[in-house]
Amino acid sequence: MKKLTYFPGCSAHGTSEEFDSTLKLVLKTLDVELEDIPDWNCCGATSAHVMTENLAYALPMRNLVLAEKLENTTMGIACASCYQRMKVTKVHMDENPELAQRINTTVVEEGTYKGTVDVKSMLQYFYEDIGVETIRGKVTKSLAGLKVACYYGCLLTRPKNITKFDSPEYPVSMDQICEALGATATEFDYKTECCGASFSISNTEVVLNLSGQILAMAKESGAHAIVVACPLCQSNLDMRQPDIEKQQGVKYDIPVFYITQLMALAFGNPVDQLKFPKHIVPVEGALANIGKIDPVPQKVKKPIKAVEAESEVE
Amino acid sequence: MITLGTQGKNTFLADVNKKSGANVLECYQCGKCVGTCPVSQYMDFPPREIMQMIKLGLRNESYMANSHWFCLTCSACSGRCPREIDIPAVMEAVRHLAIEENYINDSTKVKEIRKFHEIFLAMIKRYGRNYELRMMAEFNIRTRNLFKDMHLAPKALLKGKIPLGVKPLKSAKAIKRMYELAEKLEKNK
Amino acid sequence: MARVGVFVCFCGANIADYVDVPQVVEEVKRIKEVKFATEYKYMCSDPGQGMIRDAIVQNKLTSIVVAACSPRMHEKTFRKALSDAGMNPYLLEVANIREHSSWVHQKDKKAATEKAMDLCRMAVAKSIANEQLHEISVPVTKRALVIGGGIAGIQAALDIADARIPVVLVERSPSIGGKMAQLDETFPTLDCAQCILTPKMVDVASHPYIELIPYSEVIELQGFVGNYKVRIKKKASYVNFKTCTGCGACWQKCPVKVPNEYNMGIDKRKAIYTPFPQAVPNKPVIDAEHCTMLTKGKCGICAKVCDKGSIDYTMQDEIIEREIGAVVVATGYDMWDPKPYEEYGVGRFKDIITSLEFERMVSANGPTNGVPIRPSDGKVPKNVVFIKCVGSRDEAKGIEYCSKICCMYTTKHTILLHHKVHDSHAYVFYMDIRAAGKGYEEFVKKAQVDTGTTYLRGRVSKIYKKGDKLMVRGEDAQLGQVVEVEADMVVLATAVSAPKDNPDLARLLGISYDKYGYLSEAHPKLRPVETAKAGIFLAGCTQAPKDIPETVSQASACAAKVCGLFAGDTMKKDPMVSTINNEYCSGCQNCVKVCPYGAIVTDDVPIGHGSKELRTVAKINEGVCQGCGSCVAICRSMAINLAGFTDPQIINEIVSI
Repeated sequence: MKKLTYFPGCSAHGTSEEFDSTLKLVLKTLDVELEDIPDWNCCGATSAHVMTENLAYALPMRNLVLAEKLENTTMGIACASCYQRMKVTKVHMDENPELAQRINTTVVEEGTYKGTVDVKSMLQYFYEDIGVETIRGKVTKSLAGLKVACYYGCLLTRPKNITKFDSPEYPVSMDQICEALGATATEFDYKTECCGASFSISNTEVVLNLSGQILAMAKESGAHAIVVACPLCQSNLDMRQPDIEKQQGVKYDIPVFYITQLMALAFGNPVDQLKFPKHIVPVEGALANIGKIDPVPQKVKKPIKAVEAESEVE
Repeated sequence: MITLGTQGKNTFLADVNKKSGANVLECYQCGKCVGTCPVSQYMDFPPREIMQMIKLGLRNESYMANSHWFCLTCSACSGRCPREIDIPAVMEAVRHLAIEENYINDSTKVKEIRKFHEIFLAMIKRYGRNYELRMMAEFNIRTRNLFKDMHLAPKALLKGKIPLGVKPLKSAKAIKRMYELAEKLEKNK
Repeated sequence: MARVGVFVCFCGANIADYVDVPQVVEEVKRIKEVKFATEYKYMCSDPGQGMIRDAIVQNKLTSIVVAACSPRMHEKTFRKALSDAGMNPYLLEVANIREHSSWVHQKDKKAATEKAMDLCRMAVAKSIANEQLHEISVPVTKRALVIGGGIAGIQAALDIADARIPVVLVERSPSIGGKMAQLDETFPTLDCAQCILTPKMVDVASHPYIELIPYSEVIELQGFVGNYKVRIKKKASYVNFKTCTGCGACWQKCPVKVPNEYNMGIDKRKAIYTPFPQAVPNKPVIDAEHCTMLTKGKCGICAKVCDKGSIDYTMQDEIIEREIGAVVVATGYDMWDPKPYEEYGVGRFKDIITSLEFERMVSANGPTNGVPIRPSDGKVPKNVVFIKCVGSRDEAKGIEYCSKICCMYTTKHTILLHHKVHDSHAYVFYMDIRAAGKGYEEFVKKAQVDTGTTYLRGRVSKIYKKGDKLMVRGEDAQLGQVVEVEADMVVLATAVSAPKDNPDLARLLGISYDKYGYLSEAHPKLRPVETAKAGIFLAGCTQAPKDIPETVSQASACAAKVCGLFAGDTMKKDPMVSTINNEYCSGCQNCVKVCPYGAIVTDDVPIGHGSKELRTVAKINEGVCQGCGSCVAICRSMAINLAGFTDPQIINEIVSI
């Protein structure tokens, strides 16, 4: 059994809970055990680097220092934003020991930064550490018939000198994984165009425009569904889709899956564990292309337990 | 009209270069960044023009432009820049300088963007993690737009898209301390 | 007793601003052997040289020191001044107080002055031990080698041959003609490339002074200027050129189809082929890699249909040796591969082609009968986008430099498109329009007005597909707006890059190349056709990107250089060469190993005077020796001395400071 240090990111317990839980199903099949970073904190994305320099490094560094206390040499990160902040911090610290020392003073209580843990997105982990062939070997329910547009967004492969993974312009790793699952990846030219990311709340107009173009191009490519590996992309493309449709006066009706949902499905997990009801855009139409599967439940099985929210609005 | 030649040494260029680690002088104005930038249409001045403004030493105008607030740091521009200039770092440098020197662009959009980031950072300071519902609610209250995205709320809540609460970090204290130390570092640079 | 004269130069302000010249003069006057010392504004000027001549005669000087710029600049000038005054020119020493002192120590005049004094003291000390030396005469082989049969090589070969000097022209491919033979029309006059090139190609083939060796490569060059020996590998063509009439029956019947290099792979040629109809020589060759008779022993059709019996499957590569006196390198250029432009979908979108592919399409003898077509569906494109600077001026994905010709050939392409497809519209994305050249700007203006081409200033950001259109997105920086062009076809003006194997060739010839792979000229301004190695010259794009007029000029310049070199029956050479003292030489031959020029051989000499028993010693070939001194340093028994840099001279220098 392989072990992997895991940084879930804040949205894993919220908007992208389905990413987190299906990731765990997939890793079970792939025989990988996740070890959470104890008491991890928010990576700061996307606000910290916007407003200040040191904090933008300090927040990820605390997680890196905590991760170095575990035995694993690789940290897998589900959320693309978290991945990028963590990787940027790691690369900059490793390149500039003096800077690392300075930033380290802000989290000195947690320990000394050594740079011993590598940072990978889960997509990168699947592609490089697990391998497309291993994934192909685990498929019990082929997704043949399903045409998908693989959408990577900005953060998984850019900037190239930081991520050193796949292509910043026309990446293929997710496409290859989808093909291994039996699906067909379409020729999709908007793979790495930005969806509007962090403007989801503060500048929705931008997100509607940018995500709208991505939806249009995905549809144009002939895809039944979009596949992503980033919670921000998923929520912009899925949750905002009705608004985009209303604004553009078009009906896309194109569901947005996490790559792990499709993997879990292809690995033979029961449909009712894949959290499809959490999607705003219904998935049934797209999934009908792979033939008969169990019915998609209409309701979330177990609503997430609200944890006591403390404190008040100032 | 801008009169050039009266400002003396271009300290703005030096400041931006130092902070960003890039060299703005390398820009030859090809505009590949502008066609690449997903939000250039929303900017007062697209990246290419900001680069030229820095070269001309237009500190005030660069600070007050909304461009650096709209930059999403998607890094598409720098990936295509034929001179390999780290344009997002330049944008970030201009923004950080503007914040440090207290230049405030008070257009509604920039105010909203800025407010979002401030709320976000305050929340991380308090909880150590992001608490999405609270984030949205607080943003709506602070920007006096109570009903923004409310049409999404019932569906999102029902589908468990947005959790009602957040687990505060055990070592919330450590995070607070980190904030203070980071702030101190920022000042002592 | 030595009587030294010292002449310190101001070099205008170049030296005088940073070195206290009068103080240097005062200082050298204190050396007892210095009988005369003076300063002057420009020592290299006529009056300056006159001062040297006069002082030699009046003061009966025995050696001269000129403290001025690098000896690379004016050593010859001053040597001549010595000769004119009746003095052996090698009694001159140059103290380089400009490059070695004033230019590099501009911030500290005192230190620069002290260093200049030291340099003068050393030169004075050295000059005292200088000996009279005499130029060496070397015989010259009056035959030139031209490597590469494009327009540069053709022009150089013809010009040299017209001076009745024999030329060996080596071309790697089966025909001469090079890139120019692939062009349709040429800027800025739009004359047909074939029409102006093919007469020259025919001239090469029929010229009594040109030996054309096609389908061959240079594999070794030995010797030195005036006396080189070259080895050429002639690839097996499997066709007897002597009996072949070029009737074409063989390639018409050959069943094997291979992508046609001449047409940029747009159509197919056969495994036995002549590259194009006007090829010179117009004889087919068999492509051994693809011929099934040669790879699998099956077929043999070409041999059956050849009524002259010219096909010979057993033919072997052949080594040809020639003695030559000079070399012109004209290996041309490669078109840069635009694959790194992933944002343009290069490789994914069939309707993105390169300029040379477009050139072939619009050529009358091209694969599409002179009409541009979309490779994806064969339709004639209406909206065509031309993108300039693809690979050029792009450190990130391509090459830093400007390729120089793309602005002009793209302008030409807009005209050709307009000529071939009347209802078409061209869009040109450009960063700058570089039209410096005779008639070039006028050509651009005329093209813009006549064709109505839309010029958009900006580098294209992205190309994506929408239906069967290519969407080309970029900024129109004049307008400050992002524009998208719906294109049927996109033509990339790809960069000019150095031939991939230039570095190998450079090593083989013993010349240098730059970081891009272009062969280096001896001086970027004043010796642009020479290399640092005597007798080897450069023509055309192998040195840097250039257009046809410039290439032809440089080729003719090479020819003039070669003719100049061959003007006398012997060549003069500096006497700074090594000599072996046989009495000390132990015959270890370490010097043979370290000599970079192969100038040292071994010789057998009697053990003692009158003895019949022999022992081995080293022997220097004066003609080859370049005076680098490697052998002097390696010799353990101190048997080697380098004229002009003898041990006493060097020791004097060291002792003087």
